Amino acid sequence: MNIKVVRTKAEIEGRIIEATALVEGRDLAPWGTDSGLAIVGKGHPRVDGIARVTGRAQYTQDLYLPGMLHVRVLRSPYPRARVRRVDASRALALPGVRGVLHRFNAPKAAFRGEETIFRDEVRFVGDEVAALAADTEETAADAVRLIDVDYELLPFVADLEEAMRDDATRLTEKGNVTESGTYERGDTKRAFAEASVVVEATYRTSTQLHNSLETHGAVARWDGDLLTVWESTQHVFGVRAGLQAALKIPYSDIRVLCDYMGGGFGSKGGAGKYTIVASIFARQLGKPVRCFLTRDEENLAAGNRSATYQTVKIAAKGKRIHAIEHLSWSNSGQGRWVADPTGPTNGLYDIPHVRTRSYKVVTSLGALSAFRAPGYVEGTFALDQAIDELADRIGEDPLALRRRHAALQTDPVTGMRYSLKRLLACYDIGAKEIGWQHRKPEGTRGSAPHRRRGYGMASQLWGGSGFPPAYATVHLNPDGTAVLRCGTQDIGTGTRTVLAQLVAEELGLALGDVRVELGDTSSQYAPISAGSLTVSSVGPAVRLAAKDARMQLLDAASGLLEVGATELRVERGAIVSTGRRTQIGEVLGQIENYTVIGKGSRFPNPEDISLKTFGAHFAQVEVDVRTGEVFVEHIVAVHDIGRVINPLTAASQVEGGVIQGLGFVLSEERVVDRPTGRVLNGNLEGYKVPTIRDVPKITVRFIDDPDTKANNIGAKGLGEPPIIPLPAAIANAVANAIGVRVRTAPITRQRVLEALELRP
Amino acid sequence: MKPFAYARPRAVTEALKLARGGATVMAGGTDLLGLMKDGIAAPERIVDIRSLEPLRGWARAKGKGLRIGALVSLVDLETSAELARTMPIIGEALRPAATAQLRTMGTVGGNLLQRNRCWYFRDEAYPCWLKGGVRCFAIEGDNRLHAIVGAEECVAVAPSDLAPALIAYDATVSLTGSRGTRTMPLVDLFVTPHGRVRREHAITSDELIIEVRVPENALTRRGAFEKAMERKTWSFALVSVAVSAKLIGGVVRDARIVLGGVAPVPWRARDAEKLLEGQVLDDAACQAAADAALERAEPLKDNGYKVPLARELVRRTLRRLA
Repeated sequence: MNIKVVRTKAEIEGRIIEATALVEGRDLAPWGTDSGLAIVGKGHPRVDGIARVTGRAQYTQDLYLPGMLHVRVLRSPYPRARVRRVDASRALALPGVRGVLHRFNAPKAAFRGEETIFRDEVRFVGDEVAALAADTEETAADAVRLIDVDYELLPFVADLEEAMRDDATRLTEKGNVTESGTYERGDTKRAFAEASVVVEATYRTSTQLHNSLETHGAVARWDGDLLTVWESTQHVFGVRAGLQAALKIPYSDIRVLCDYMGGGFGSKGGAGKYTIVASIFARQLGKPVRCFLTRDEENLAAGNRSATYQTVKIAAKGKRIHAIEHLSWSNSGQGRWVADPTGPTNGLYDIPHVRTRSYKVVTSLGALSAFRAPGYVEGTFALDQAIDELADRIGEDPLALRRRHAALQTDPVTGMRYSLKRLLACYDIGAKEIGWQHRKPEGTRGSAPHRRRGYGMASQLWGGSGFPPAYATVHLNPDGTAVLRCGTQDIGTGTRTVLAQLVAEELGLALGDVRVELGDTSSQYAPISAGSLTVSSVGPAVRLAAKDARMQLLDAASGLLEVGATELRVERGAIVSTGRRTQIGEVLGQIENYTVIGKGSRFPNPEDISLKTFGAHFAQVEVDVRTGEVFVEHIVAVHDIGRVINPLTAASQVEGGVIQGLGFVLSEERVVDRPTGRVLNGNLEGYKVPTIRDVPKITVRFIDDPDTKANNIGAKGLGEPPIIPLPAAIANAVANAIGVRVRTAPITRQRVLEALELRP
Repeated sequence: MKPFAYARPRAVTEALKLARGGATVMAGGTDLLGLMKDGIAAPERIVDIRSLEPLRGWARAKGKGLRIGALVSLVDLETSAELARTMPIIGEALRPAATAQLRTMGTVGGNLLQRNRCWYFRDEAYPCWLKGGVRCFAIEGDNRLHAIVGAEECVAVAPSDLAPALIAYDATVSLTGSRGTRTMPLVDLFVTPHGRVRREHAITSDELIIEVRVPENALTRRGAFEKAMERKTWSFALVSVAVSAKLIGGVVRDARIVLGGVAPVPWRARDAEKLLEGQVLDDAACQAAADAALERAEPLKDNGYKVPLARELVRRTLRRLA
């Protein structure tokens, strides 16, 4: 096999990265629309569904090893303070307490650009001050309260808009605000001057908390020099890299495992402080150690979607959008990066004059982490509402206005042609399914007194092309069953099922004959399960691995059956030649215990072409104008993501995104007490994630055209697209219903009633 | 969690003996365990009263009204077909309350005695006035969920959905303690924290709720209940409203309007009740009563929306009586 080095540019979470990878052999021609696929494209129930619903699936949080110790973390009660002294003597005196780590005794361990995991200056309520290991969880929880810490309190600022002010407490030498994104095309200054109508508005979005059902955590065990870490993660290889950096041990001495996983939504991208703490304690104390966050800790220190303050100025010339200026400030907390909400403004619509700026604002609050389409959810909330506001002003149907700016087949940011863009088709399907013709500019009467009905929609732009490196191995056993080994992980999205389908299809096996083993750094590398890139990165490598196994099988069969390999094919577990079917097991069984090993790698994306996903959401809502209650009646979600490998798991992804979007736009809001910097609702009582009663009728539609320019399976990503347009679609529907616009998410009863009160 | 002694007595007298001198009584535990986990309650002794037979069961005795034992689970009341005929407002009030799991564990007595949900009260880091501290943090802090009427030093609101419904039906509550048994209007079980009174209930630490009674003549009332939440279920009320009245020849007699989520206690809008006396429940009368019910509201900086919201729920519940 000839091995080649390839370099490729790709987009992840709105950022362009350059990747170097190795590929073997040649890529396969993509499956076309007429490839006659038997398993791919069909709605197979999850291969692990029964294990999950019967409780047999083992999540990291379920793992209790014999003799295991339990860790609790002492977190700062202050938003900013210097840790002057830590006295753990009272805690250590408690029976069952095995050790305490803090800044004065913990070994150095590099973590995300810092040299230690316990800072001398804690920077938000919930920042790690010390960790304690004990025989039981209860002892650890009690003992951690006995650690005495002497804090020197420092000035802080715990609010986005407060931190933006010139006279705000400066949290860094450079100040609190730094520019994080800038983009321009055309000449907005001139364009606004020559426009016929200009609309300006300010939009705010609240901090959204991930609230993964399984909190962040890890279990660590040392066997001699070998460290095994079980972690609830979206990237076992990322955890391995984090451990190598922190503990300075070689990869050969680290194994990271993640079998079943209870959600991450972007926040479980690599080793956490809990991983390192568990590993250090496990080594020091010679026992397995478990460190899991409680729900409260999860909501303080495990990341969040930044709150934003955004201003949009948008202008029309005649019946077209002529110019847009979008400025956005994001509360990154103590985060080292920030998401860019202006991505959709730059790239979604064909608008001649565009100017955007985005800013990162530091505050004395927990760091952001990636959260399902970071930036794009917040940005689309502003952009697609501004478009509706402009449409209202010029007396135009908002969908008709968008259509004029959605047909472009080249990416306005890069000037490259799209591989496939079917946004107008998404509009057509969505409008038909929701009954857009019923929309009136002033809303319509609702189904009960004091209720108004409205319709709204919004568009989705995202990447999701996937990219190398990603590798996979298929072991074909002598009995005709196969095992796929791949370093990716199924974070609840259905990856196991989809990959099994790809193997079964390419190898000619029944789905039930394929076993999928994921989430183990002993496999070959696969990327993080984030950025809507798993299927599009890993899938093509898996298909190649299956194909490699099939070719080897046919070579072997050719010799054993004495038929030319080119005259043979594999079909439903049998080797077929003219007039003859032989079960794989019968053929391979002739060679004792031979395992065919097929290998596959992800080839680079085509150059000079823009790979994007598109979509549109349509919402029908009612609003009770006396009580401020929003009733979501129907959501239509249409996505253009290339080939759909499994319509069932894909629809499940879309429903999940819609529901998470409903939370963002209607009820989820982290509340911070500004004078103390404490989160007031870091629990599932005060922080309102949607319940099943909040879930409306959801109609899911896919364009389902393979993107044959993208990769050999024709699929792009779907993890993030379904949350992106939903909040803006709801906001537009609410505004259509009640005639006033709520520009702050979430659109609570309070905000609806306040907006109605101020209605002219 | 602080170690505690635990007892599960089988007789009321035994329970009272055990409860003397500062023990904490537990029934379903759905509130107490949360308070303990959050560091708000740290009892040294817990008296688990779940085995006290006289506090169990509910029944309607002809001519004697409805008797509901303190240990009756919320789910039993909610799902009873008989009660749905006798006093449907109870089911109306309970269905949107908490979750099925909590309603299964939770009891009537515990529901009435649950502590407020103020996020400053529930966070042990805030030495708030109600917990013996010097000030209320909610008055200056984020008070979107707090009281709009009737508050003194503490602006937390009464969280129970059941209490307004029972009070609207003139329920009484019987308490037993070492000094005997006393019965009072249920509305008097709730006290507004003020001055030296840093508590939300009139029950003393060595008393138990035995039962709640609804008088026979109240069962002929018509009632209605509405609750506004921040999502469709599993949420404490932003505002809840229970109303009842006797309608004689279409004319209102003896109306009751009780609001939850707006005041430190279930709030009886007595002025509005009076206004309805002798009225026909048309739009104008309902609106006038709703306006009167909130006339004394003094919202804080973040909770002004509760005023129109409460007003509308009062109007709607009254309209449903007609």
